[in-house]
Amino acid sequence: MTTQLPPGMHLETVDDKIMTLNVGPQHPGSGHMRLIIKVDGDYIVSCDPDPGYVHRGEEKMAEYRNYIQNIPHLERPVIHDSSNILYPYCLGVEDLLGIEVPERAKYIRVIAAELNRCIYILYWLAIYGIFLGHSTMFMWPAGDRELFIDLLEAMSGARVTHAYLVPGGVRNDLPSNFEERCLRQVEYFEKRLKEYEAIFYQNPLLKARTEGSGILSRTDAIRLGTTGSVLRASGVDFDVRKKEPYDVYENLDFQTIVMKEGDSYARSRVPYLEMFESCRIIKDALKKMPKSGSVRTKLKPNPKGGNDEVYRRVESGRGAIGYYIVSNNRPEPYRVKISVGSFRNLICMPYLLKGEKLGNMPAVYWGLNYWPVEADR
Amino acid sequence: MSNVIGIIRALNSGVKHLAVKRFTLRYPEQKLKFVGDGFQFNPETGVGIAGLRGRHILFHEHCTGCQLCSVACEGIAEAISMVKIHETWKHNKKAIMPQIDYGKCVFCGLCVDACPFYALYMTNDYELSSFTKSALIYTPAQLAIKPNISQDVEIKISDRGASHG
Repeated sequence: MTTQLPPGMHLETVDDKIMTLNVGPQHPGSGHMRLIIKVDGDYIVSCDPDPGYVHRGEEKMAEYRNYIQNIPHLERPVIHDSSNILYPYCLGVEDLLGIEVPERAKYIRVIAAELNRCIYILYWLAIYGIFLGHSTMFMWPAGDRELFIDLLEAMSGARVTHAYLVPGGVRNDLPSNFEERCLRQVEYFEKRLKEYEAIFYQNPLLKARTEGSGILSRTDAIRLGTTGSVLRASGVDFDVRKKEPYDVYENLDFQTIVMKEGDSYARSRVPYLEMFESCRIIKDALKKMPKSGSVRTKLKPNPKGGNDEVYRRVESGRGAIGYYIVSNNRPEPYRVKISVGSFRNLICMPYLLKGEKLGNMPAVYWGLNYWPVEADR
Repeated sequence: MSNVIGIIRALNSGVKHLAVKRFTLRYPEQKLKFVGDGFQFNPETGVGIAGLRGRHILFHEHCTGCQLCSVACEGIAEAISMVKIHETWKHNKKAIMPQIDYGKCVFCGLCVDACPFYALYMTNDYELSSFTKSALIYTPAQLAIKPNISQDVEIKISDRGASHG
């Protein structure tokens, strides 16, 4: 018996040489997503990433809550980078409502964002280490992450989901002796970070596995619309903090890390080098910060935005995060659209994995700095 | 040859850590020290006071039953519900006070920001586990109790590395 297929559809031809593997949807690294991989022996023929298992409807939820109540749930997509994902929302709402932010609050926000970037990158690095079977590289960053969690806990009062940045500044001022404590821990961390070089980045075993695998050329990186560390590892000098400076980033002293190779090794190394820059920014911001002053502009209860729309973006641990917010004279936004770096970096995964060995898949996958929960929103 | 040197260097950097103090916090025996007595808020300036956002504390002598904390929690966690109390307070004619369900609370502290009467703060108490769901619901009387906790360990940094206590 033959069944008639609808026009335009056809059955998949089965090749005995090709085997289909489902990697996921249960937790291939962090967060649920699936990779449908076809292998010919040990080599990947095609890869089809299948996100969407952790879609939470954050954008729709934002339409039913007022501008302040949106804060706790909008940071949920990336709880390890919660300050950075809230940052563009706060900048956007400030533009909509016409709020001026005090100078000290701007510096505190930059410090919180950079501390949070370090927390995210260390978590990412820990997973990268365990993906490649390097258990020391899992333990060390996971332990050193505690230094920054401790600082943000003192600042905001929560270890992971901080809800610290608000439209108009920050929730509370820094505790006493924070500057000294922050400086001590960041300086210790910089020393510690240099030890990662010998055990992981100069390790010949890591180099053998990652160098030359999953090469993304400069033109492809631009054409596919990648962002963040993936773009910078392919030799494009683009960082939102430099190109469209927000808050006080233009006053601070740091560099953009760019590598030309575009392979897995470069993609794993760029975030690591960015942590040194983050430490530099934190130390510089602590020095230049006004020692006293207001940290939050008082808002009216239930503030209303005019008939207006705004788009703001910042550089997060995974790339540019942009918020497009439309308001229509109501206390709730009419529409919130979040453009995230993870989703944009996911696009190049099928290109990079083609022709790779299956064993190199984790290195390429996690090197893309992809966070499934953020991509699904 | 360079590969061999690289592997030896990598091993060496790990071996050095045999002499370094352990960083791990031995949790039930040691407890981290926090800044201040928990997250508080000054409604006059509209700025909070830094502290850990743990279990709430409710000051019955200040609470007027205005429900602003409950309104703030709507759409976030819906953890706060207003319940009748048996006490009589002149400033609380409706005789209602917040009751918090810690099975739902996300500890964002926006209820503390909403309170204009210095009645609702947060404390350093974070050990809220229980065997039943109903035990996670804290009545106004339970919320009024000041937690008695000893937290004294800090991150210490020395030449031999960082450690807890």
